[in-house]
Amino acid sequence: MMAKTKTAAVALAFAAAACSGSAPDSEVDAGSDAQVAAEVDAVAEADALVVFTTNYPLAYFAERIGGERVRVEFPAPPGIDPAYWTPAADVISAYQGADLILLNGAGYEGWVSKTSLPESKLVNTSSGFEELYVVAEDAVVHTHGPEGEHEHENVAFTTWLDPQLAIEHARAIRDVLAERLPGSEAELQAGFEALEADLTELDGRLEAWAAGLSGQPLLASHPVYRYLARRYELNLKSVHFEPDEAPPAGAWRDLAALMQGHSADWMLWEGPPLDETSARLAGDFGVGSVVFAPTGNRPASGDYLDAMRVNVEALEALPAS
Amino acid sequence: MRDTLYLAWRYLAFHRVKTAILVGAITLIVFLPVGLRVIVNQSSRQLTARAEATPLVIGAKGSPTELTLNTLYFSSDVPARTTYAAASEVADTDLAQAIPMYVRFRVRDQPIVGTTLEYFGFRGLKLAEGRQMAVLGEAVLGSRAAEQLGVGPGDHIVSSPESVFDIAGVYPLRMPVVGVLEFTDSADDDAVFVDVKTAWVIEGLGHGHQDLSQPEAAAGVLRREGNVVVGNASVMQFNEITPDNIDSFHFHGDLSDFPLTAVVVVPPDQRSSALLQGRYQTAELSQVVSPTEVMDELLGTILTVEKFVIAGAVTVGLATLATAFLVFALSLRLRRRERETLFKIGGSRAAVATVMTSEIVAVLAVGVLLALLLTFLTQRYGDVIIRSLIR
Repeated sequence: MMAKTKTAAVALAFAAAACSGSAPDSEVDAGSDAQVAAEVDAVAEADALVVFTTNYPLAYFAERIGGERVRVEFPAPPGIDPAYWTPAADVISAYQGADLILLNGAGYEGWVSKTSLPESKLVNTSSGFEELYVVAEDAVVHTHGPEGEHEHENVAFTTWLDPQLAIEHARAIRDVLAERLPGSEAELQAGFEALEADLTELDGRLEAWAAGLSGQPLLASHPVYRYLARRYELNLKSVHFEPDEAPPAGAWRDLAALMQGHSADWMLWEGPPLDETSARLAGDFGVGSVVFAPTGNRPASGDYLDAMRVNVEALEALPAS
Repeated sequence: MRDTLYLAWRYLAFHRVKTAILVGAITLIVFLPVGLRVIVNQSSRQLTARAEATPLVIGAKGSPTELTLNTLYFSSDVPARTTYAAASEVADTDLAQAIPMYVRFRVRDQPIVGTTLEYFGFRGLKLAEGRQMAVLGEAVLGSRAAEQLGVGPGDHIVSSPESVFDIAGVYPLRMPVVGVLEFTDSADDDAVFVDVKTAWVIEGLGHGHQDLSQPEAAAGVLRREGNVVVGNASVMQFNEITPDNIDSFHFHGDLSDFPLTAVVVVPPDQRSSALLQGRYQTAELSQVVSPTEVMDELLGTILTVEKFVIAGAVTVGLATLATAFLVFALSLRLRRRERETLFKIGGSRAAVATVMTSEIVAVLAVGVLLALLLTFLTQRYGDVIIRSLIR
């Protein structure tokens, strides 16, 4: 059926080219070639496996591994944190129409449990390393009714910030694509190996930077760097500062208390903090600000690797204390 | 000839009660075995077709017939519960597609079928209007369910309490209808489809309420012990899932322990089917049933009963025919003076015989025609009758 569709589309393209008889030969050739190419591309895209993801890193990995064999969609609007995003019904309908839905897992996409998605298309790309999930200590527990106590385990979900785990995500994507795209194993493996090399390079640079820290205390504006901290054995403690909001008085007090036993010089931020926040941090606490974007959503410019390289460069540029 | 037939007609019309009884008796004699045969054939076809389209069903140990009828026809007899882990186990084998089913609740008389989107693809169900369920709490209705409940996309339905005395039990959930399916002439037309997670919300396993850790929920807090917040009885649970409160909805416990009535198993080939059935041969808590086998067994029973019923109907028919013959014979004897009068006024022996014969033939013909009409109606509406009986 698919072959028939493809043949029909190419035939139509040829027919359309043949109809433009009055134009000069060269123009006809150029026009028809472009048209045929466009038609073939369109057909190839139509034949591609439609993959929806719940965050940008997975979308990037799937694009790198699947290449032209996949059409990757990540429909979260720009500027939001996909971890706290709840898609509208029409977006969920689009997810339902996908051939494959890649999940980050580790409780990242809480909205999935409140929606109707085809289970046979859902793939948790971190299910292979569930034992490596970082569980937060501040789990919320509430009890009521006859069922008694139940706990909402607070698992850290920015797993890809550990490049080794990012490689595991990528490996899971390669495996599921190989299942769904039989005959393209070599192509997928090549895409995976290229991505693995890039992530390994990032890992090496971060490892070298972390080795130079020698246990130097660091701060994080938000507890999103747990996997990064564990991978590189960073002496990192977190507060709850939002980059685009002035921290309330209580948050500053918490920071002061935290710094009693943890005299850090730098705070990692998900995005550039407000000027007054960074000024007060520097003035009152002697803490500089450095942005390490988790890149859960598509960056404003460049791709995942570009954003991560910018993050690493920012860390590498920190002066040793 | 017309005069003869007229006389016969007038006689029958004058003795209309006797004629009606005779016609009714003849109709029943012919219809009972034929109609029964039609009904049995139709029910066999229906039961077999849906069973054949459902390769395997996994459920808790118990009655295979109850499990099959609840899974295929959403009958109100709820089988013993299995758990969601049963569906996951099948999916993990990679031998088959597993479709969880939770058919326990109702909206008035319509069964609520908690399942996943895979069910729609499996049964080939298509939307006639609206869209597919997308968010927890949404419902898609079969065409007859929509008609019976008088609702369409944009309207709301409310799940019915299982018992009026079950005050502390299942909360009625108000659900928006987002789509109506095309008519399929199957049990799916009567169903209210929801996500299996929505069925668990109806059961109370998932619910939404105020965040007890927030200051505004202080009235609902009994005590705080470190990270543990104990709610009191005044914690209000939402009875409708809306965009405003959906984030507060959560499930208690491990999803794999959550109840299902069955798992529809769709293996891609015979080999996978055999392997799966083999795995459940020795299972202590669950059973795998082949709906075709269950239905064949059921039909075997029906066919045995049918044979007895037909034998009885034929015997009664023969007795009725003998009685009818007697009625005609006695009638002829009683009408001796009538015949003599006909001879005296010039009627030939043949003409008188024709009058009498026409009466008998007319009664027999009308009886047979009525039986054929009833058979046609049975053929036409038998499906509906059978489905309502199975439900």
